[in-house]
Amino acid sequence: MTWSSERLSSLVRHDAVDRQVYTDPELFALEMERIWGRAWVYIGHESQIPEPGSFFTTELARQPVLLVRQDKDTYHLFFNRCAHKGAKVVELESGRAPMLRCGYHGWTYRTDGVCHHITGGDAAYRALGLDKGSPCMNLSTVPRAESYRGFVFASLTPDAPDLATWLGPTAASIDNMIDRSPEGRLEVAGGALRYHHDSNWKFFMENLNDMMHAMIAHESSAHAARQLGKKMLARGGALPPEIQILAPFAEDPDFFEKMGVHAFANGHSYSGGKTSIHASYSGIPEYEAALERAHGKERMDEILSLNRHNTVVYPSFTCKGAIQTIRVVKPVAVDETIIESWTFRLVGAPDELLQRSILYCNLINSSANLVGPDDREAYHRLQQGLQAQGERWVSNARYVDAEEPNEEGGRSATGSSDMVFRNQFEAWRRYMTADTASGG
Amino acid sequence: MAMAPALQDLEQFLFHEARLIDEKRWDEWGALFTEDGEYWVPATRGQPDAKNHVSLMYETALLRDVRLKRYPHPNAMSLQPVPYSVHVISNVMLDSFDAATRISVVNSRFIMLEYRRNEQQTYGGATTHVLETEGESFRIRMKKVELVNCDAVLPSIQIYF
Repeated sequence: MTWSSERLSSLVRHDAVDRQVYTDPELFALEMERIWGRAWVYIGHESQIPEPGSFFTTELARQPVLLVRQDKDTYHLFFNRCAHKGAKVVELESGRAPMLRCGYHGWTYRTDGVCHHITGGDAAYRALGLDKGSPCMNLSTVPRAESYRGFVFASLTPDAPDLATWLGPTAASIDNMIDRSPEGRLEVAGGALRYHHDSNWKFFMENLNDMMHAMIAHESSAHAARQLGKKMLARGGALPPEIQILAPFAEDPDFFEKMGVHAFANGHSYSGGKTSIHASYSGIPEYEAALERAHGKERMDEILSLNRHNTVVYPSFTCKGAIQTIRVVKPVAVDETIIESWTFRLVGAPDELLQRSILYCNLINSSANLVGPDDREAYHRLQQGLQAQGERWVSNARYVDAEEPNEEGGRSATGSSDMVFRNQFEAWRRYMTADTASGG
Repeated sequence: MAMAPALQDLEQFLFHEARLIDEKRWDEWGALFTEDGEYWVPATRGQPDAKNHVSLMYETALLRDVRLKRYPHPNAMSLQPVPYSVHVISNVMLDSFDAATRISVVNSRFIMLEYRRNEQQTYGGATTHVLETEGESFRIRMKKVELVNCDAVLPSIQIYF
């Protein structure tokens, strides 16, 4: 059966979605083409390719791509595929090289993707009028690649809207992360964590702004942390950062209601804003002094008071501005997803900031952490439970139509509203049907 | 001058430690560490420290307490069904012994199977134990586990290596 626009559209109701959106391999293949092939997808950060010849490899809609810096001002995003027989040209995750050479037959490319050397010379192609100067002998370029203040996104669609417009008000979450550097600069630092999930990518994207699960799913670790914290306070001690990070996961439901959720065009959203689970971390005086020197007290207070919890740039990128971490979604199959976590150094800030981000990721994002396994288990049970045919629809009905327009041009609702999920599936439907997403 | 511990005693200690994990005798296992004892699983090869680079696990007594309290919690959904493990410890070598502090640095290799709900994961690597001598036995100042696949895309890891 083919997936007509009408049939695809019928999978999404305002207050529910068809369970097949999480379980059907054909729909997953269509998502790769129509959502991941049309949206802007996060590739990497400019600081990962600092010098001419620096390269970084990743995936875009499951296709291998290669980000290479040509010179100080120019870099390119290529499909990581040799123009000759199609082998992946660069296998390493990152590195630096003056030229890129395919290991199979030795075709070699410059950092601008132009073919520099064809093994055995050009003569073999003379009958076709081709030589190494012909465009089809070069690495092919991904149709669109743009940076938003150092964060590189790409699209397989040549007429994708301008990146900043498409990001909308979620760009302010990236801005806030950058603004927290006294020099206004970020650098990827501290390595990456890669976590395998045996479930559909959308469960993760929904869960980040699901304000109803933390105190339930993470009760075991968060309550243990709170108990230990209470004992420490009773003994007159201060709460160490580990407890400050873990304990808020067990805040009562009202705390999460008040954080609120905020939804925007193209499926984007964030939760929190005025407060979040990161709002009560101890200050770092040396850092605040550096930030005040750079910006003045008023601006510093403004920067530090913005406390968004998770920002979701649908479908691939999520960030926590307040602690300088991002998580990147890499779908593998309808029931298989890789989640990467990266940390950033705030240039000009003391090391404690990066160290806190790293501690957070160890505790929340690593495969052996104290919180993520329960999320992963929840997604696993969703993937299994939704095999059941008993009910076609998965509810997104909480606080339906109880949303208010917000000052940023989106809509806001109480924390436990399903508005964010409804908003993601509005975007899902637009991408999946002929009517593609607009920047509006 | 203190004599270096016998290799057999060190081996027996490592076997005992692994057995406590496999038998989920968490209180006894936790008590093997010194108060400032650390447990560390780096996320990359040759990782110089646990502060400036992410790790799969980096736990002091405080975080061990959190994890050990979490294990029996009835609402820890990823621990239901319960995961089980079996460790095989081998290639035990005494790398160094400081006669003044009576601290031994012991290198060993391990294979650990982690089993939960019809899925079995296989882990292997090199472990460095920094052991303080205490009476006839030892306490762990540092246990550093260098997984051979530390930088792989890994599923949930729920039991100590």
